[in-house]
Amino acid sequence: MRALVALLALLTSFVAAAQDCTYDPARVAGPRQVMRRLSQTAEAVAPSSSHRRTSTAPAPPKYPIRNFIDTEVFGLMERDGIAWTSISSDEEFLRRVTVDLTGQIPDAATVRAFLADTSADKREHAIDRLLHSEEYVDRWTLWLGDLVQNVQSASNTILFEEGRDPYYFWMRDSIRANKPYDQMVREMLATDGGSFHDGPANYVVRQWQNNGPIQDTYDNLSAHSGEKFLGVTINCLSCHNGLGHLEQVNPSLVKRTRQEFWRNAAFFAQITLKNANSDDDYEWKVGTNPAGSYQLNTTSGNKTVRAPTQQQSSPVLPAFLLTGETPKDGENRRVAYARMLTAHPQFARATVNYLWKEIFGMGLVEPADNFDLTAQDTQPTHPALLAHLAEWFAASGYDIRALLRLMVNSSAYQLSSRYTPGAWQESYTRYYARHYPRRMLSESVLDAVARATNVPISIRVPLIEEPFTRAMALPDTREPFVPQRTPNPYKTILDTFGRGDRDTNARTREGSIAQALEMLNDPVITTRVKTRIDTLLASTHDPGAIADELYLATLSRKPKDAERAAAIAYLQDGDLKANAEDLQFVLINRLEFLFN
Amino acid sequence: MKKDDCTCTQNSSPFWSGGFSRRRFLQIAGTSLMASYFPDVLNAGLLESATTAAPLLQNSAKNCLLIFLAGGISQVDTFDLKEGSWTPPALAPATAGSVRWPQGLFPKIGQHLDQLALIRSGLAWAAVHPLAQKWAQIARNPSGATGGIAPHIGSVVALEAQLHRRSTDVLPGFVALNGTVAGAGYFPASNGPFAVQAAQSGLAALTHPDGASRLTKRWNLLNALDDARKSGELGSDSADMADYYDEGKALIDSPDVNALFTFSSEERTRYGASVIGDSLIVARNLLAADKGTRFVQVTDTNWDHHSNIYGTTGISLLTKGKAFDDALGALLSDMSTRNGSTPGKTLLDETLVVVLGEFGRTVGPITPNGGRDHYLRMSVMLAGGGVRGRRVIGRTNADGSAVAEFGWSANRDVRPEDITATMYSALGIDYTTVRHDDPLNRGFEYVPFAKDGTYSPVKELF
Repeated sequence: MRALVALLALLTSFVAAAQDCTYDPARVAGPRQVMRRLSQTAEAVAPSSSHRRTSTAPAPPKYPIRNFIDTEVFGLMERDGIAWTSISSDEEFLRRVTVDLTGQIPDAATVRAFLADTSADKREHAIDRLLHSEEYVDRWTLWLGDLVQNVQSASNTILFEEGRDPYYFWMRDSIRANKPYDQMVREMLATDGGSFHDGPANYVVRQWQNNGPIQDTYDNLSAHSGEKFLGVTINCLSCHNGLGHLEQVNPSLVKRTRQEFWRNAAFFAQITLKNANSDDDYEWKVGTNPAGSYQLNTTSGNKTVRAPTQQQSSPVLPAFLLTGETPKDGENRRVAYARMLTAHPQFARATVNYLWKEIFGMGLVEPADNFDLTAQDTQPTHPALLAHLAEWFAASGYDIRALLRLMVNSSAYQLSSRYTPGAWQESYTRYYARHYPRRMLSESVLDAVARATNVPISIRVPLIEEPFTRAMALPDTREPFVPQRTPNPYKTILDTFGRGDRDTNARTREGSIAQALEMLNDPVITTRVKTRIDTLLASTHDPGAIADELYLATLSRKPKDAERAAAIAYLQDGDLKANAEDLQFVLINRLEFLFN
Repeated sequence: MKKDDCTCTQNSSPFWSGGFSRRRFLQIAGTSLMASYFPDVLNAGLLESATTAAPLLQNSAKNCLLIFLAGGISQVDTFDLKEGSWTPPALAPATAGSVRWPQGLFPKIGQHLDQLALIRSGLAWAAVHPLAQKWAQIARNPSGATGGIAPHIGSVVALEAQLHRRSTDVLPGFVALNGTVAGAGYFPASNGPFAVQAAQSGLAALTHPDGASRLTKRWNLLNALDDARKSGELGSDSADMADYYDEGKALIDSPDVNALFTFSSEERTRYGASVIGDSLIVARNLLAADKGTRFVQVTDTNWDHHSNIYGTTGISLLTKGKAFDDALGALLSDMSTRNGSTPGKTLLDETLVVVLGEFGRTVGPITPNGGRDHYLRMSVMLAGGGVRGRRVIGRTNADGSAVAEFGWSANRDVRPEDITATMYSALGIDYTTVRHDDPLNRGFEYVPFAKDGTYSPVKELF
């Protein structure tokens, strides 16, 4: 009886909490345009009248508005009559947030503890625990490494491992310490030093163009920083004006000229980039020559001819592309550029959009490298939200950890990836009416196999003493870097799942037949399955316990009743060891292993 | 410093030969690279509007086999033979019709001169391995506008071949042995290179380590348990993955498919018992099967002979050449006697075979290091797919240091873009195509500037 009273009290308190929901349509900020500019990848959104809920459809469940993300996201769905799905279960949430923040799946013990935890704020605590883990450092070092393409060698340049490694460790240290992101970017843009000692100096080395005049290198630096730090692909302007070329590509660049691009590149024209070229000394020395300048005197290399015109004399003097601002008297040009770039609102906008994309699966602006600067009321799917996030991020001191924390604590993020209100339409994707399921990153796949089976990987990277036990922590996406036909058990699976080469082959989450064959036939998986079952059977032969453990460790959840019954039946039908291996193998091959 | 403890091969690009130091990489990278990307006649105006040149489609081949000699084969010792005091007796130059042929190096290939064409006026854009290899495999400057999204040539062929795919076409359109330097780019991943390492026992990817019957049991359990495969509740990407699983399982289960990847010791020996030999056996099988594979790339490494070029042991032109000759000789014999899919045609008739490296090597006497270094001037060897045998396009001067005759109507150097246009033309693919489905929204050209005739197929081959 007492238990029943207690239970009723508990239920009542839950109901009370739900009624505390503070959703209020009036709090949604700002007027909306009815017509939105369509992004490349999202389907057309029908005019809102066709999405109005009929009076017979039940109202979607209300969720706590945890922060302004929820206000904006749910507000837009309310306005357009889009039904959102139920909130994720604890099991679904824990696996997803662990993968999204750290690249790893949670282990069985962590899942059990989380499910058993009855505290109301357990999700927030789980988030904070993950944000302060070393695996968090792996995941966001990987993100930044992809963004700036930290790799040992590329088609246009070579960092050597001796350059890639300090760059990688600098990223790790900065992310672990939560260094303000604007400071990190300024360091990458403006550090002088030796590439084997001063990690961020490798940003410049990465953009060296090995088959053209030095102006090609300055152009690369201008283009890359514009694309990855400001979210605007300006590379096209390095060869020609926008007019007559960019009307379909980016309207905000149509009136921009090649001269303006050169002026932006001129900030880099006092770089000295030297390599002694000897077997004993092949470190890059990045320095500053105050007499350097951007000359218009090239007829070869990778760009069209550079020559002075009536409108533009040589040398070209620096002016920031977005504002026309020039360096202060005596100011180091790269320091000036770094200052201007990181102070510009577009830096915050581009960055929050990139990070939003990592967490939510698509950017508020898509493509994330191609902001139309004249359409910031219409290009983003949630213009007010993007603006608010950018301001918030800047005000926070460009605090990546805080931004990620804000995002994953929102109810919007925590919606289930299963859509229950009715038939799913792809046009709902841009509303975040569900958390859209996506395949894990390549490194996560391998790490998840290792963690689910409790058989770690070990990858040696030359010059780094400790072998790597997490693929997510590898210093670039080409390790293990082996000559032709030298077997390395991990290389095939990592490459097949599309981690890209940080050069011209971008990372992708796309699937392929080869990936399916990997999951079915790679000995990396089948040998681990065997080891795993050997160990498990040493501690129990109870089919129920085996089923529970395998589900928890592999899929981060308990088996549903029907699943448990089916598993027990399977395990008991014949040789337990073989059947347990089959079950473990099958759980790794279930779609929800890769997709969440 | 780590240079001396074999980290060169470990840490270098897989396509650099052992013993090549990092210093040399930079030296080479810093020099000899002022090839003009845009000839003098081009100005920015041409970028703005392009008049359409009517594309010339040979439509003479069903398949293309690209044999990529990574590292850069020495043209003056092979396809554009220049003899001097340096020429080792092992090359045994002999006259064969209008060409001098290294009969000692390539005796078996030499038996097929009636089927072979040579381009001697080839010119690479860059003498840097990663850049030039990528350039050749994506038909454009990797550092250029579409370099970051461009699919491999084979992916273009695979995508185009989708239009003609039959229910019996179970193999991937594009198969790559021993690696490529480009993937599907922005095209769907199903057009990417399907990676294969040739091995007598078959394709590891198609073989379940715990045995076929075990896999069947597991497959049945998987489909019984995994609701998401039926419900689609995990979204369209997961539904695609489920399809890939089904297609993969069909490949695993097909005895015909598995047979394509296995070969006997006897066969292996006939092809020279080497990596290149094994790879060409599998390439032949895939193309002969006519099950949907239309583009095969076979990469063979270790042609970067900066030293030991004429050595009789180790990695040298002679040792690599012997293996290559055994393999390609056997392949040409097999392909020219096997039936193609059309009556009256052989497999070689239906397959354009292209042999090239990413650039050539220095001419004249060998270097003090005992080899030849990177050089933009290069040669290409072609066979099959409508190519006329005993055709030599272009001529270089006495030592090979400059072109004497371009040898074709375009009257200029033959570039990787032209070779690509030639491949597409042979396969009946419009090489002037500009797709408007690219993520840059700029337009993606199959061959940049082909629309205005800047690059074109070498029709003189046909």
